[in-house]
Amino acid sequence: MPKQYSALLFSLLLAAGLLAMQANALDLNKALKDAVKDKIEEVKNGGETAVEKTPEAPPIPVPATPIVTNTSAATSAEAPANSINWKNPSVDEEIALGRNITGSLLGAAPLVKDDALQLYVNKVGRWVASQSERADLPWKFGVIESADINAFAAPGGYVLITKGLYQKLSNEAQLAGVLGHEIAHVVKKHQLKVLQKQQLLNTGSSWLKEKFAKNNKLADKAIGSGAEISARSLDKDAEFEADRMGMVLATRAGYDAYGLAEVLQTIGQTNKADSSVALLFKTHPAPDERLAKLGDSAGSKLDNLKAGKTLENRLYKLN
Amino acid sequence: MKNYLKKYLLISLAAPILALAGEAGTALKADVLRAEPFADAKTAGSLNKNDTLDILAKKGAWLQVKSKSASGWVRILSVKRGGASVSGSSIADIASGRAGTGKVVSTTGIRGLSAEELKAAKFNEDEMKKMESHAVSATDAQSFASAGGLTSAQMAYFKGAK
Repeated sequence: MPKQYSALLFSLLLAAGLLAMQANALDLNKALKDAVKDKIEEVKNGGETAVEKTPEAPPIPVPATPIVTNTSAATSAEAPANSINWKNPSVDEEIALGRNITGSLLGAAPLVKDDALQLYVNKVGRWVASQSERADLPWKFGVIESADINAFAAPGGYVLITKGLYQKLSNEAQLAGVLGHEIAHVVKKHQLKVLQKQQLLNTGSSWLKEKFAKNNKLADKAIGSGAEISARSLDKDAEFEADRMGMVLATRAGYDAYGLAEVLQTIGQTNKADSSVALLFKTHPAPDERLAKLGDSAGSKLDNLKAGKTLENRLYKLN
Repeated sequence: MKNYLKKYLLISLAAPILALAGEAGTALKADVLRAEPFADAKTAGSLNKNDTLDILAKKGAWLQVKSKSASGWVRILSVKRGGASVSGSSIADIASGRAGTGKVVSTTGIRGLSAEELKAAKFNEDEMKKMESHAVSATDAQSFASAGGLTSAQMAYFKGAK
Protein backbone atom coordinates (compact mmCIF):
# COMPACT_ATOMS: atom_id res chain seq x y z
CA MET A 1 0.00 0.00 0.00
CA PRO A 2 2.67 2.57 0.87
CA LYS A 3 4.40 1.55 -2.32
CA GLN A 4 1.38 2.48 -4.38
CA TYR A 5 1.05 5.67 -2.48
CA SER A 6 4.57 6.74 -3.24
CA ALA A 7 4.16 5.67 -6.83
CA LEU A 8 1.17 7.97 -7.10
CA LEU A 9 3.06 10.78 -5.45
CA PHE A 10 5.92 10.18 -7.75
CA SER A 11 3.82 10.32 -10.87
CA LEU A 12 2.20 13.54 -9.73
CA LEU A 13 5.58 14.98 -9.05
CA LEU A 14 6.81 13.92 -12.42
CA ALA A 15 3.77 15.35 -14.11
CA ALA A 16 4.12 18.63 -12.28
CA GLY A 17 7.72 18.86 -13.22
CA LEU A 18 6.92 18.17 -16.81
CA LEU A 19 4.15 20.70 -17.01
CA ALA A 20 6.47 23.29 -15.58
CA MET A 21 8.98 22.45 -18.21
CA GLN A 22 6.37 22.48 -20.89
CA ALA A 23 5.66 26.07 -19.93
CA ASN A 24 9.24 26.78 -20.77
CA ALA A 25 8.69 25.19 -24.16
CA LEU A 26 11.49 22.71 -23.72
CA ASP A 27 11.93 19.58 -25.75
CA LEU A 28 9.50 17.29 -23.99
CA ASN A 29 11.16 14.09 -24.96
CA LYS A 30 14.43 15.19 -23.46
CA ALA A 31 12.69 16.73 -20.50
CA LEU A 32 10.93 13.52 -19.67
CA LYS A 33 14.15 11.59 -19.97
CA ASP A 34 15.98 14.07 -17.79
CA ALA A 35 13.25 14.19 -15.21
CA VAL A 36 13.42 10.46 -14.80
CA LYS A 37 17.19 10.47 -14.85
CA ASP A 38 17.25 13.03 -12.05
CA LYS A 39 14.70 11.03 -10.17
CA ILE A 40 16.82 7.92 -10.42
CA GLU A 41 19.87 9.82 -9.30
CA GLU A 42 17.98 11.15 -6.30
CA VAL A 43 16.67 7.76 -5.40
CA LYS A 44 20.10 6.25 -5.84
CA ASN A 45 21.68 8.87 -3.66
CA GLY A 46 19.71 7.83 -0.66
CA GLY A 47 16.14 8.72 -1.44
CA GLU A 48 16.27 12.31 -0.28
CA THR A 49 13.35 13.27 -2.43
CA ALA A 50 9.92 14.64 -1.89
CA VAL A 51 8.64 11.14 -2.50
CA GLU A 52 10.23 9.83 0.63
CA LYS A 53 8.74 10.78 3.92
CA THR A 54 11.86 10.19 5.94
CA PRO A 55 15.08 12.06 5.36
CA GLU A 56 17.19 8.90 5.30
CA ALA A 57 16.61 6.11 2.81
CA PRO A 58 14.41 3.73 4.76
CA PRO A 59 15.01 0.00 4.64
CA ILE A 60 12.49 -0.84 1.96
CA PRO A 61 11.13 -4.32 2.46
CA VAL A 62 11.83 -6.84 -0.24
CA PRO A 63 8.66 -8.31 -1.68
CA ALA A 64 7.90 -11.70 -0.23
CA THR A 65 7.47 -13.25 -3.65
CA PRO A 66 10.16 -15.88 -4.17
CA ILE A 67 11.53 -14.40 -7.35
CA VAL A 68 15.07 -15.56 -6.80
CA THR A 69 14.58 -19.27 -6.61
CA ASN A 70 15.90 -21.13 -9.58
CA THR A 71 13.69 -24.12 -9.13
CA SER A 72 10.86 -23.63 -11.54
CA ALA A 73 10.21 -22.00 -14.84
CA ALA A 74 7.06 -20.45 -13.46
CA THR A 75 9.04 -18.07 -11.31
CA SER A 76 11.11 -16.81 -14.16
CA ALA A 77 9.33 -16.06 -17.37
CA GLU A 78 7.40 -12.85 -16.80
CA ALA A 79 7.28 -12.75 -13.04
CA PRO A 80 9.81 -10.24 -11.72
CA ALA A 81 8.81 -6.96 -13.33
CA ASN A 82 5.77 -6.34 -11.19
CA SER A 83 7.07 -7.49 -7.85
CA ILE A 84 10.36 -5.65 -7.87
CA ASN A 85 11.12 -2.64 -5.81
CA TRP A 86 12.15 -0.50 -8.73
CA LYS A 87 13.22 2.49 -6.75
CA ASN A 88 15.84 0.59 -4.86
CA PRO A 89 16.14 -3.01 -6.02
CA SER A 90 17.91 -5.43 -3.73
CA VAL A 91 20.80 -7.53 -4.97
CA ASP A 92 18.49 -10.55 -5.07
CA GLU A 93 16.03 -8.63 -7.20
CA GLU A 94 18.83 -7.50 -9.46
CA ILE A 95 19.94 -11.11 -9.89
CA ALA A 96 16.38 -12.25 -10.60
CA LEU A 97 16.09 -9.60 -13.30
CA GLY A 98 19.38 -10.62 -14.82
CA ARG A 99 18.39 -14.26 -14.76
CA ASN A 100 15.26 -13.45 -16.65
CA ILE A 101 17.04 -11.44 -19.30
CA THR A 102 19.80 -14.01 -19.68
CA GLY A 103 17.38 -16.92 -19.86
CA SER A 104 15.58 -15.13 -22.69
CA LEU A 105 18.85 -14.52 -24.51
CA LEU A 106 19.51 -18.23 -24.16
CA GLY A 107 16.10 -18.78 -25.70
CA ALA A 108 17.32 -16.87 -28.76
CA ALA A 109 20.71 -18.59 -28.87
CA PRO A 110 21.52 -21.61 -26.67
CA LEU A 111 24.88 -22.32 -25.05
CA VAL A 112 27.56 -23.90 -27.20
CA LYS A 113 27.46 -27.59 -26.33
CA ASP A 114 30.97 -27.84 -24.96
CA ASP A 115 31.22 -28.08 -21.19
CA ALA A 116 34.99 -27.61 -21.18
CA LEU A 117 34.61 -24.35 -23.09
CA GLN A 118 31.89 -23.09 -20.74
CA LEU A 119 33.93 -23.98 -17.70
CA TYR A 120 37.01 -22.29 -19.12
CA VAL A 121 35.15 -19.05 -19.82
CA ASN A 122 33.68 -19.13 -16.32
CA LYS A 123 37.14 -19.44 -14.79
CA VAL A 124 38.57 -16.54 -16.76
CA GLY A 125 35.47 -14.44 -16.16
CA ARG A 126 35.23 -15.17 -12.48
CA TRP A 127 38.91 -14.30 -11.99
CA VAL A 128 38.46 -10.96 -13.74
CA ALA A 129 35.26 -10.27 -11.79
CA SER A 130 37.18 -10.97 -8.60
CA GLN A 131 39.18 -7.81 -9.30
CA SER A 132 36.00 -5.70 -9.21
CA GLU A 133 34.04 -4.06 -6.41
CA ARG A 134 31.31 -6.65 -6.84
CA ALA A 135 33.44 -9.76 -6.55
CA ASP A 136 30.78 -11.37 -4.38
CA LEU A 137 28.03 -11.53 -6.99
CA PRO A 138 27.29 -15.08 -8.20
CA TRP A 139 28.99 -14.43 -11.54
CA LYS A 140 28.01 -16.66 -14.43
CA PHE A 141 29.45 -16.70 -17.92
CA GLY A 142 28.52 -18.48 -21.10
CA VAL A 143 29.34 -18.80 -24.80
CA ILE A 144 26.25 -18.84 -26.99
CA GLU A 145 25.67 -20.49 -30.35
CA SER A 146 25.61 -17.49 -32.64
CA ALA A 147 27.78 -16.32 -35.52
CA ASP A 148 27.13 -12.74 -34.48
CA ILE A 149 30.02 -10.82 -32.98
CA ASN A 150 28.74 -9.57 -29.67
CA ALA A 151 28.70 -9.95 -25.91
CA PHE A 152 26.00 -9.23 -23.38
CA ALA A 153 25.76 -8.42 -19.71
CA ALA A 154 22.69 -8.58 -17.53
CA PRO A 155 22.14 -7.30 -13.98
CA GLY A 156 23.38 -9.41 -11.13
CA GLY A 157 26.47 -10.89 -12.80
CA TYR A 158 25.37 -12.65 -16.02
CA VAL A 159 27.67 -12.40 -19.02
CA LEU A 160 27.32 -14.02 -22.44
CA ILE A 161 29.70 -13.91 -25.36
CA THR A 162 28.84 -15.20 -28.82
CA LYS A 163 30.74 -17.98 -30.50
CA GLY A 164 31.36 -15.55 -33.37
CA LEU A 165 33.24 -13.20 -31.09
CA TYR A 166 35.00 -16.01 -29.24
CA GLN A 167 36.37 -17.28 -32.56
CA LYS A 168 37.94 -13.89 -33.22
CA LEU A 169 40.02 -14.11 -30.06
CA SER A 170 43.65 -15.11 -30.23
CA ASN A 171 44.57 -15.27 -26.55
CA GLU A 172 43.18 -15.40 -23.01
CA ALA A 173 44.02 -11.74 -22.34
CA GLN A 174 41.63 -10.75 -25.11
CA LEU A 175 38.88 -12.89 -23.61
CA ALA A 176 39.60 -11.29 -20.23
CA GLY A 177 39.31 -7.84 -21.80
CA VAL A 178 35.95 -8.58 -23.42
CA LEU A 179 34.56 -10.14 -20.24
CA GLY A 180 36.01 -7.19 -18.28
CA HIS A 181 33.95 -4.79 -20.39
CA GLU A 182 30.77 -6.76 -19.66
CA ILE A 183 31.65 -7.14 -15.97
CA ALA A 184 32.02 -3.36 -15.79
CA HIS A 185 28.45 -2.94 -17.10
CA VAL A 186 27.23 -5.12 -14.25
CA VAL A 187 29.41 -3.40 -11.63
CA LYS A 188 28.12 0.00 -12.76
CA LYS A 189 24.54 -1.33 -13.10
CA HIS A 190 24.23 0.21 -16.55
CA GLN A 191 21.45 -2.09 -17.76
CA LEU A 192 19.69 -2.02 -14.42
CA LYS A 193 19.50 1.76 -14.57
CA VAL A 194 17.90 1.64 -18.01
CA LEU A 195 15.30 -0.82 -16.70
CA GLN A 196 14.65 1.33 -13.64
CA LYS A 197 14.22 4.41 -15.79
CA GLN A 198 11.76 2.58 -17.98
CA GLN A 199 9.84 1.22 -15.05
CA LEU A 200 9.61 4.57 -13.30
CA LEU A 201 8.30 6.01 -16.53
CA ASN A 202 5.65 3.32 -16.72
CA THR A 203 4.64 4.13 -13.19
CA GLY A 204 4.39 7.74 -14.29
CA SER A 205 0.69 7.45 -15.18
CA SER A 206 -0.97 6.73 -18.45
CA TRP A 207 -2.49 10.14 -19.12
CA LEU A 208 0.99 11.55 -19.13
CA LYS A 209 2.06 8.97 -21.63
CA GLU A 210 -0.97 9.63 -23.79
CA LYS A 211 -0.37 13.31 -23.66
CA PHE A 212 3.21 13.07 -24.77
CA ALA A 213 3.10 9.85 -26.74
CA LYS A 214 4.01 11.53 -29.99
CA ASN A 215 7.12 13.09 -28.60
CA ASN A 216 8.13 10.43 -26.23
CA LYS A 217 10.12 7.60 -27.69
CA LEU A 218 10.83 6.09 -24.31
CA ALA A 219 7.18 5.62 -23.46
CA ASP A 220 6.51 4.14 -26.87
CA LYS A 221 9.19 1.56 -26.48
CA ALA A 222 8.52 -0.15 -23.23
CA ILE A 223 11.10 -2.79 -22.50
CA GLY A 224 9.81 -6.19 -21.58
CA SER A 225 11.46 -8.17 -18.85
CA GLY A 226 13.23 -10.40 -21.34
CA ALA A 227 16.13 -10.13 -23.74
CA GLU A 228 14.90 -6.96 -25.40
CA ILE A 229 17.08 -4.82 -23.17
CA SER A 230 20.08 -6.48 -24.80
CA ALA A 231 19.10 -5.05 -28.16
CA ARG A 232 19.05 -1.53 -26.79
CA SER A 233 21.89 0.95 -26.75
CA LEU A 234 23.29 2.23 -23.51
CA ASP A 235 24.61 5.77 -23.35
CA LYS A 236 27.87 6.08 -25.28
CA ASP A 237 29.48 7.16 -22.04
CA ALA A 238 28.46 3.89 -20.41
CA GLU A 239 30.26 2.02 -23.19
CA PHE A 240 33.39 4.15 -22.86
CA GLU A 241 33.30 3.66 -19.11
CA ALA A 242 32.97 -0.11 -19.54
CA ASP A 243 35.92 -0.07 -21.95
CA ARG A 244 38.24 1.68 -19.54
CA MET A 245 37.07 -0.33 -16.55
CA GLY A 246 37.30 -3.56 -18.52
CA MET A 247 40.86 -2.77 -19.51
CA VAL A 248 41.81 -2.06 -15.90
CA LEU A 249 40.03 -5.15 -14.55
CA ALA A 250 41.89 -7.43 -16.97
CA THR A 251 45.16 -5.70 -16.13
CA ARG A 252 44.50 -6.07 -12.41
CA ALA A 253 43.95 -9.77 -13.07
CA GLY A 254 47.49 -10.03 -14.39
CA TYR A 255 46.68 -10.02 -18.11
CA ASP A 256 48.25 -7.96 -20.85
CA ALA A 257 46.49 -4.60 -20.73
CA TYR A 258 45.76 -4.47 -24.44
CA GLY A 259 43.47 -7.48 -24.79
CA LEU A 260 40.25 -5.49 -25.10
CA ALA A 261 41.92 -2.92 -27.40
CA GLU A 262 43.10 -5.71 -29.68
CA VAL A 263 39.58 -7.09 -29.92
CA LEU A 264 38.31 -3.60 -30.76
CA GLN A 265 40.98 -3.44 -33.47
CA THR A 266 39.73 -6.73 -34.88
CA ILE A 267 36.10 -5.66 -34.75
CA GLY A 268 37.06 -2.39 -36.42
CA GLN A 269 38.37 -4.37 -39.35
CA THR A 270 35.11 -6.20 -39.83
CA ASN A 271 33.05 -4.87 -42.69
CA LYS A 272 30.25 -2.68 -41.41
CA ALA A 273 27.87 -4.29 -43.88
CA ASP A 274 28.56 -7.74 -42.42
CA SER A 275 25.41 -8.90 -40.67
CA SER A 276 27.45 -10.44 -37.85
CA VAL A 277 28.22 -6.99 -36.50
CA ALA A 278 24.88 -5.35 -37.27
CA LEU A 279 23.57 -5.33 -33.71
CA LEU A 280 26.95 -4.56 -32.17
CA PHE A 281 27.48 -1.53 -34.41
CA LYS A 282 23.91 -0.42 -33.86
CA THR A 283 24.23 -0.47 -30.09
CA HIS A 284 27.85 0.62 -29.59
CA PRO A 285 30.01 3.56 -30.65
CA ALA A 286 32.37 2.78 -33.55
CA PRO A 287 35.45 0.75 -32.57
CA ASP A 288 37.78 3.56 -33.72
CA GLU A 289 36.03 6.02 -31.47
CA ARG A 290 36.20 3.56 -28.57
CA LEU A 291 39.92 3.00 -29.11
CA ALA A 292 40.65 6.72 -29.29
CA LYS A 293 38.62 7.36 -26.13
CA LEU A 294 40.37 4.54 -24.35
CA GLY A 295 43.72 6.03 -25.36
CA ASP A 296 42.71 9.48 -24.15
CA SER A 297 41.56 8.08 -20.80
CA ALA A 298 44.60 5.89 -20.29
CA GLY A 299 47.00 8.71 -21.12
CA SER A 300 50.42 7.80 -19.76
CA LYS A 301 49.08 5.28 -17.25
CA LEU A 302 50.04 2.26 -19.33
CA ASP A 303 53.58 3.45 -20.05
CA ASN A 304 55.35 1.79 -17.18
CA LEU A 305 53.14 -1.21 -16.59
CA LYS A 306 54.77 -4.52 -15.91
CA ALA A 307 54.03 -6.66 -18.94
CA GLY A 308 50.97 -8.83 -18.29
CA LYS A 309 50.29 -12.30 -19.60
CA THR A 310 48.56 -13.05 -22.88
CA LEU A 311 48.34 -16.85 -22.43
CA GLU A 312 47.64 -17.66 -26.06
CA ASN A 313 48.40 -21.31 -25.44
CA ARG A 314 45.74 -21.59 -22.79
CA LEU A 315 42.94 -20.11 -24.90
CA TYR A 316 40.45 -22.94 -25.26
CA LYS A 317 40.25 -23.98 -28.89
CA LEU A 318 36.82 -24.52 -30.34
CA ASN A 319 36.33 -27.45 -32.64
CA MET B 1 69.66 13.38 -17.67
CA LYS B 2 70.75 10.61 -15.36
CA ASN B 3 67.16 9.89 -14.58
CA TYR B 4 66.36 9.84 -18.24
CA LEU B 5 69.02 7.26 -18.94
CA LYS B 6 67.96 5.12 -16.03
CA LYS B 7 64.41 5.12 -17.24
CA TYR B 8 65.49 4.24 -20.72
CA LEU B 9 67.57 1.38 -19.42
CA LEU B 10 64.69 0.14 -17.30
CA ILE B 11 62.27 0.15 -20.18
CA SER B 12 64.82 -1.47 -22.46
CA LEU B 13 65.19 -4.31 -20.03
CA ALA B 14 61.48 -4.71 -19.41
CA ALA B 15 60.17 -4.71 -22.96
CA PRO B 16 61.93 -6.03 -26.00
CA ILE B 17 61.48 -4.27 -29.30
CA LEU B 18 59.38 -6.39 -31.60
CA ALA B 19 59.97 -5.68 -35.23
CA LEU B 20 56.74 -5.62 -37.23
CA ALA B 21 57.22 -6.04 -40.90
CA GLY B 22 55.62 -2.93 -42.27
CA GLU B 23 52.08 -3.51 -41.06
CA ALA B 24 49.72 -0.75 -42.18
CA GLY B 25 47.99 1.53 -39.73
CA THR B 26 46.04 4.77 -39.37
CA ALA B 27 46.34 7.53 -36.77
CA LEU B 28 43.19 7.51 -34.63
CA LYS B 29 43.88 11.04 -33.46
CA ALA B 30 46.39 13.86 -33.70
CA ASP B 31 49.38 12.98 -31.56
CA VAL B 32 53.04 13.73 -30.97
CA LEU B 33 55.72 11.41 -32.30
CA ARG B 34 58.59 10.74 -29.89
CA ALA B 35 62.17 9.92 -30.72
CA GLU B 36 62.19 7.12 -28.13
CA PRO B 37 59.39 4.97 -26.70
CA PHE B 38 58.59 7.03 -23.63
CA ALA B 39 56.60 10.12 -22.77
CA ASP B 40 59.41 12.57 -22.03
CA ALA B 41 61.55 11.65 -25.02
CA LYS B 42 62.35 14.29 -27.61
CA THR B 43 59.58 15.21 -30.05
CA ALA B 44 60.22 13.73 -33.44
CA GLY B 45 57.24 15.08 -35.33
CA SER B 46 53.48 14.87 -35.20
CA LEU B 47 50.58 12.88 -36.56
CA ASN B 48 47.29 14.14 -37.89
CA LYS B 49 44.13 12.15 -37.45
CA ASN B 50 43.72 9.59 -40.25
CA ASP B 51 47.37 9.77 -41.35
CA THR B 52 48.36 6.55 -43.06
CA LEU B 53 51.18 4.80 -41.24
CA ASP B 54 53.64 2.00 -41.53
CA ILE B 55 54.02 0.23 -38.23
CA LEU B 56 57.67 -0.74 -37.84
CA ALA B 57 58.06 -2.02 -34.31
CA LYS B 58 56.39 -2.41 -30.92
CA LYS B 59 57.91 -1.84 -27.52
CA GLY B 60 55.89 -1.88 -24.30
CA ALA B 61 53.11 0.69 -24.63
CA TRP B 62 54.55 2.14 -27.83
CA LEU B 63 54.55 1.60 -31.56
CA GLN B 64 57.27 2.85 -33.88
CA VAL B 65 55.54 4.29 -36.92
CA LYS B 66 56.38 6.09 -40.11
CA SER B 67 54.01 8.52 -41.80
CA LYS B 68 54.56 10.33 -45.08
CA SER B 69 56.26 13.19 -43.33
CA ALA B 70 57.73 11.87 -40.08
CA SER B 71 58.61 8.85 -38.06
CA GLY B 72 58.85 8.11 -34.36
CA TRP B 73 57.14 6.42 -31.43
CA VAL B 74 53.48 6.82 -30.50
CA ARG B 75 51.28 5.06 -27.95
CA ILE B 76 49.55 1.87 -29.10
CA LEU B 77 46.08 3.24 -28.47
CA SER B 78 46.64 6.14 -30.87
CA VAL B 79 46.87 3.81 -33.84
CA LYS B 80 44.27 1.81 -35.68
CA ARG B 81 45.99 -1.21 -37.05
CA GLY B 82 45.36 -2.66 -40.46
CA GLY B 83 45.02 0.56 -42.44
CA ALA B 84 42.07 2.68 -43.44
CA SER B 85 41.00 0.68 -46.44
CA VAL B 86 40.37 -2.57 -44.59
CA SER B 87 36.75 -1.81 -43.87
CA GLY B 88 36.01 -1.81 -47.58
CA SER B 89 35.77 -5.50 -48.35
CA SER B 90 34.25 -6.27 -51.68
CA ILE B 91 30.66 -7.20 -52.29
CA ALA B 92 31.88 -10.62 -53.36
CA ASP B 93 33.49 -11.07 -49.95
CA ILE B 94 30.24 -10.28 -48.21
CA ALA B 95 28.26 -12.57 -50.46
CA SER B 96 30.61 -15.47 -49.82
CA GLY B 97 30.71 -14.93 -46.08
CA ARG B 98 34.33 -13.83 -46.31
CA ALA B 99 33.73 -10.29 -45.19
CA GLY B 100 36.17 -8.79 -42.76
CA THR B 101 38.61 -11.43 -41.77
CA GLY B 102 39.29 -13.34 -44.91
CA LYS B 103 38.13 -16.44 -43.06
CA VAL B 104 35.13 -18.25 -44.35
CA VAL B 105 32.39 -18.00 -41.77
CA SER B 106 29.53 -20.33 -42.29
CA THR B 107 26.31 -18.98 -40.92
CA THR B 108 24.21 -21.92 -41.97
CA GLY B 109 22.07 -23.27 -39.18
CA ILE B 110 23.11 -20.61 -36.70
CA ARG B 111 20.61 -17.98 -35.87
CA GLY B 112 21.54 -14.35 -35.70
CA LEU B 113 20.81 -12.07 -32.83
CA SER B 114 18.93 -9.18 -34.33
CA ALA B 115 16.90 -6.78 -32.25
CA GLU B 116 13.73 -8.50 -33.48
CA GLU B 117 14.95 -11.92 -32.52
CA LEU B 118 15.92 -10.75 -29.07
CA LYS B 119 12.57 -9.11 -28.58
CA ALA B 120 10.76 -12.30 -29.53
CA ALA B 121 13.02 -14.59 -27.50
CA LYS B 122 11.42 -16.89 -24.95
CA PHE B 123 12.97 -17.76 -21.62
CA ASN B 124 14.75 -21.11 -21.72
CA GLU B 125 14.94 -22.66 -18.26
CA ASP B 126 16.99 -25.70 -19.35
CA GLU B 127 19.72 -23.60 -20.89
CA MET B 128 19.66 -21.29 -17.88
CA LYS B 129 20.15 -24.25 -15.54
CA LYS B 130 22.99 -25.46 -17.71
CA MET B 131 24.63 -22.04 -17.52
CA GLU B 132 24.25 -22.06 -13.75
CA SER B 133 25.84 -25.47 -13.53
CA HIS B 134 29.03 -24.13 -15.13
CA ALA B 135 29.57 -21.39 -12.58
CA VAL B 136 32.84 -21.55 -10.66
CA SER B 137 33.73 -20.24 -7.22
CA ALA B 138 36.12 -17.37 -6.62
CA THR B 139 38.49 -19.88 -5.04
CA ASP B 140 38.51 -22.10 -8.12
CA ALA B 141 39.09 -19.06 -10.32
CA GLN B 142 42.02 -18.11 -8.11
CA SER B 143 43.61 -21.56 -8.55
CA PHE B 144 43.06 -21.33 -12.28
CA ALA B 145 44.76 -17.93 -12.33
CA SER B 146 47.73 -19.21 -10.33
CA ALA B 147 48.11 -22.17 -12.67
CA GLY B 148 48.53 -19.68 -15.52
CA GLY B 149 51.02 -17.58 -13.59
CA LEU B 150 48.55 -14.74 -13.17
CA THR B 151 48.86 -12.58 -10.09
CA SER B 152 46.53 -9.73 -9.27
CA ALA B 153 47.84 -6.20 -9.00
CA GLN B 154 46.52 -2.87 -7.83
CA MET B 155 45.51 -0.41 -10.50
CA ALA B 156 43.11 2.52 -10.28
CA TYR B 157 40.35 2.93 -12.86
CA PHE B 158 40.98 5.64 -15.43
CA LYS B 159 38.91 8.77 -15.34
CA GLY B 160 36.81 9.47 -18.39
CA ALA B 161 38.47 11.72 -20.95
CA LYS B 162 36.68 14.73 -22.35
